[in-house]
Amino acid sequence: MARPHIEPYVELDTPYKKLDLNGFKGSEYKALSLDIDTGACTLKVQFNNGFKRKPGLSYSDMEIFVLEGRIKVGKEVWGRGHHAFVPAGMALGAMQSEPGAEVLLMFNDSEPSFYESDKNHQLALTAAFTSLNSYQDAPWAPATLANPSVASGCMLKVLRYDPITEACSFLYCMSPEYAQDNISYHDCAEESYHIWGTSWMMQFGDLPTGGYFWRPPWINHGAFRCERGTIAFGRTDSKLHNYFHFNPWSNPDENLHRAAAHLYRQRPTLFQWVATDGHNHPHGPDDFEYPHYHDDAQVRHLHGHTPNEIK
Amino acid sequence: MAKRVQDKKPKRSKSAMAWLEENIAEQKLRYKAIVKEMDELAPTRARWYKEFLEICQTRGTNVTGDMRRKIAKHEVPKKPKRKDRVVY
Repeated sequence: MARPHIEPYVELDTPYKKLDLNGFKGSEYKALSLDIDTGACTLKVQFNNGFKRKPGLSYSDMEIFVLEGRIKVGKEVWGRGHHAFVPAGMALGAMQSEPGAEVLLMFNDSEPSFYESDKNHQLALTAAFTSLNSYQDAPWAPATLANPSVASGCMLKVLRYDPITEACSFLYCMSPEYAQDNISYHDCAEESYHIWGTSWMMQFGDLPTGGYFWRPPWINHGAFRCERGTIAFGRTDSKLHNYFHFNPWSNPDENLHRAAAHLYRQRPTLFQWVATDGHNHPHGPDDFEYPHYHDDAQVRHLHGHTPNEIK
Repeated sequence: MAKRVQDKKPKRSKSAMAWLEENIAEQKLRYKAIVKEMDELAPTRARWYKEFLEICQTRGTNVTGDMRRKIAKHEVPKKPKRKDRVVY
């Protein structure tokens, strides 16, 4: 079942625990969500003052967002608002945090892993590496990436975009007195952490600073309100489409059927082809643009074919 | 077939397995607490639903962006007999 629906969860009152896994000694963590099949997880991690580790790699794609403090990573210094995507097998430089740091740390394929190495794994897809300070080096843009789109007053900074699945990592904000009067659901999983501010959703009430959710597909959320403004970090695991409606009582199964009805009406020839017996290849149809997409870790994860399943 | 780094991951250590078991168990408790909290919110949520459906009929519901549509009385959804759930 991958990750359960964790919404809402406010972590601020939860104490940190020691993270005694190889490569993380000298840090503490709170688990925000965890995939019970693979160990993929989102953690809030505190690198304690003086944290150090040698160069090394993980066998999972990893993402990091720096909430507070500073970390020296190889020749780079990652401060507040820094976001990096580190593909599985890519060696990161030595890490050191003199003042300490608080980060969101995400492992997309399996539990946190670290193996000392100053060389990339021979299969590492290092071109996927991204590293930027989201506060300083990315512009706010209207959140019209998805259409139908959210109401004006919600802005985005796209920090990472996967061209194969259209999974996206982003910073978003809601302006003071933001309002959107509809109910939304998606056919992707969605995750968010409130860096600062409180927003309200009709199903879950207020989500304050330190509020978090991991929301599987098809789950209603909204209407939306934000009285004083919010800044948050978010991710999806594949393309985000806003299915808007106004039925507060619809359930995920009904929402899924409604989305399929959209496909039937709006992409009739594609719907017919996919629905035809014999065309449902279990590992996905051919794609001349991405002939090896079937083996992409994220694609396999989305279809429940993971190499590192917890037995 | 393309090879991926993830396929070459060494076997999980005992400490990694223990970490997973501990955190999966804690997540189950966290999930239960969330469900309880959300169930307790049900009476307040029912009032929010009512206010929302009133807004949809007066100011309108957002169709896309800032475009709104007022829904007619006959379009207002009826509450089904089943228990309303928000966490799945």
